Amino acid sequence: MFFQQLVNGITLGSIYALFALGYTMVYGILLMINFAHSEIFMVGAYLGFWALSLLPVWVQGWTPGYFILVFAIAMMGAGLLAVTIERVAYRPLRRASRLAPLISAIGVSIFLQNLVQVTVSAQSQPYPDTFKISHYEFFGVQVNSLQIFIFALAISAMVLLQVFITKTRLGKAMRATAQNHTVSQLMGINVNFIITVTFLIGGALGGLAGVLNGMYYGSIKFNMGFFPGLKAFTAAVVGGIGNIKGAMVGGFLLGIIEALTVGYISSAYKDIILFAVLILVLIFRPTGIFGEEVTEKI
Amino acid sequence: MKAHTVFRLTLTFIFLLGILVVISGCGQKGPRVVKVALVAPLTGDIAAHGQGMKRAAQLAIEEAVQSNRFKDFKLELAAFDDRGDPKEAVTIANQIISDPAILGIVGHLNSGCSIPASQVYAKRNVLMITPASTNPKLTQQGLRNVFRLCTTDDVQGKFAADYAVDNLKIEKAALVHDKTAYGQGLTEEFRKEFLARNGQVLSFDGIDVGEKDFKALITRIKGESPQLLYFGGMHPECGLLSKQAKELGLSVPVFSGDGIVTPEYAKIGGPATEGDYASMIGSPPEKLPAASKFVANYHQRYPKNDMQPYDPYTYEAINIILDAIEKTGGDRNKMIDYIAKVTYSGILGESSFDERGDTRNKTITIYTVRNGLFKYVD
Repeated sequence: MFFQQLVNGITLGSIYALFALGYTMVYGILLMINFAHSEIFMVGAYLGFWALSLLPVWVQGWTPGYFILVFAIAMMGAGLLAVTIERVAYRPLRRASRLAPLISAIGVSIFLQNLVQVTVSAQSQPYPDTFKISHYEFFGVQVNSLQIFIFALAISAMVLLQVFITKTRLGKAMRATAQNHTVSQLMGINVNFIITVTFLIGGALGGLAGVLNGMYYGSIKFNMGFFPGLKAFTAAVVGGIGNIKGAMVGGFLLGIIEALTVGYISSAYKDIILFAVLILVLIFRPTGIFGEEVTEKI
Repeated sequence: MKAHTVFRLTLTFIFLLGILVVISGCGQKGPRVVKVALVAPLTGDIAAHGQGMKRAAQLAIEEAVQSNRFKDFKLELAAFDDRGDPKEAVTIANQIISDPAILGIVGHLNSGCSIPASQVYAKRNVLMITPASTNPKLTQQGLRNVFRLCTTDDVQGKFAADYAVDNLKIEKAALVHDKTAYGQGLTEEFRKEFLARNGQVLSFDGIDVGEKDFKALITRIKGESPQLLYFGGMHPECGLLSKQAKELGLSVPVFSGDGIVTPEYAKIGGPATEGDYASMIGSPPEKLPAASKFVANYHQRYPKNDMQPYDPYTYEAINIILDAIEKTGGDRNKMIDYIAKVTYSGILGESSFDERGDTRNKTITIYTVRNGLFKYVD
């Protein structure tokens, strides 16, 4: 049973980790918590839903390409939405006090949730069952193809991101911008462009997490982003906010703790224990597992 | 010169608007407007139930208006959406009692909403008949304005446990509930009777409404090897629970209560729900001779919609309130006294209420999923 719970936890953790990357990247660059990220996740899930149900049948026959197309649509849409939100709601407030963009983010989140509730549907909608799920059993542990798919997709997205950040010129520019906007600008980096790229990538990963969430649980709803968003944000903080490796580790850790708590202690106390762990981590490591002490810029 | 013209035009417009207001104000004099309120979740996850109730209520009101039953009144339905949220329910209850035209309330759906709202209605002695809230506590508050047309959880939970032991030969069951007044209440009643019948309760867990991942919980329950998974709650969670249980190889039937008896259940859970059971209040409408006309009218009026489980109860509750208005001339106090004593014969057969306000009709029917739809078991 332990290994079965581990499988449950890792699948859940993959989604949290992908989701948490968006929070951590934005925080790393702008030092702000993008509360609207949970709605980007939701919109991504809906874009995938429409792509899955509206694309013509002849496209659906071409299985791997079809899935790539669906993910591309959802990720592009979610990424562009994130960029638009940044342009409209955060950029004008960049020089304002740090509370202003935070409130603006909460406003965008409420706006998008209500928009989808009113214009799309206030009820849960079943996600199209296009992914053919086959079940495997290894030593009494049930694993299905969708779980393997989610895990593989999450890991490869994270590896690609890590390579991008550490090896490319653009990634280097992003790291420089995270350290200091003014100095980066003096070095000839277009800071606004870097911020746009950050939102695009973070949003796309959030959208991907949304589609995977919809496929895995089989239903989506306008407020589906709220609870996973809270958990993913927690994962980012536990791992060390602003740190990409931290977000991945935090996501998996949270998913596994959640599954094991339900499995061995109680489902009713799940969230109590989860957030108690968060508080404990922060007491002993206020910067999170991978976080580094940053001296205040003067 | 131009500004002057604009100014004059504006003045004329305001003057005309004023006349319109006066005219429309005069138009409202005429027969007294009398409203019956329907409160149910019209949006949100369990809106399927609430929208069905609204359709049934609308049908009852339309029939009364067409037959010209009330010569002195202009009869209207006032539908409110409580979203299945107790806080919202209380807000709406306060809104309702401040409208003197509303003479009776049919609702709410969720016990968690009905209980706090009933206390608000009691302040102004407004009659409330719930067609769907089954938690026994609702009528144990000693409120004289509260009546219930459906059978309570203590009867339903006991019946379900007896059925599981006698007919399904279940000895070991795992119990899960959604921590609401309805879900937890029903599950506790099931547990009480199941233990009394020497059944073995392997576990008793709470989940959250709106939760989607039950895999960790099911993995643990699977390790206990139950013969039955009992769930107290509504269809969105139960459908996912049933689906994920079968995905993880826990191939035992899910048994639940009236909260999941809707075609939406199998849409959410898919083929995994085939063979699941649910206990439901009352007799199936197909078996009630008096209900056949209602069923036919309903399908004629709403050809595109499925009938939902509480629709006949809502229709009946509206008609009981209309009967009370007719007999008492629409006095809030007299209506309550009248209903406490009346034996109403309608589509559910004969309905009357005991000293607490609960219906004396205590029938429960067991349903099972066949080809994606709930069919009653004889």
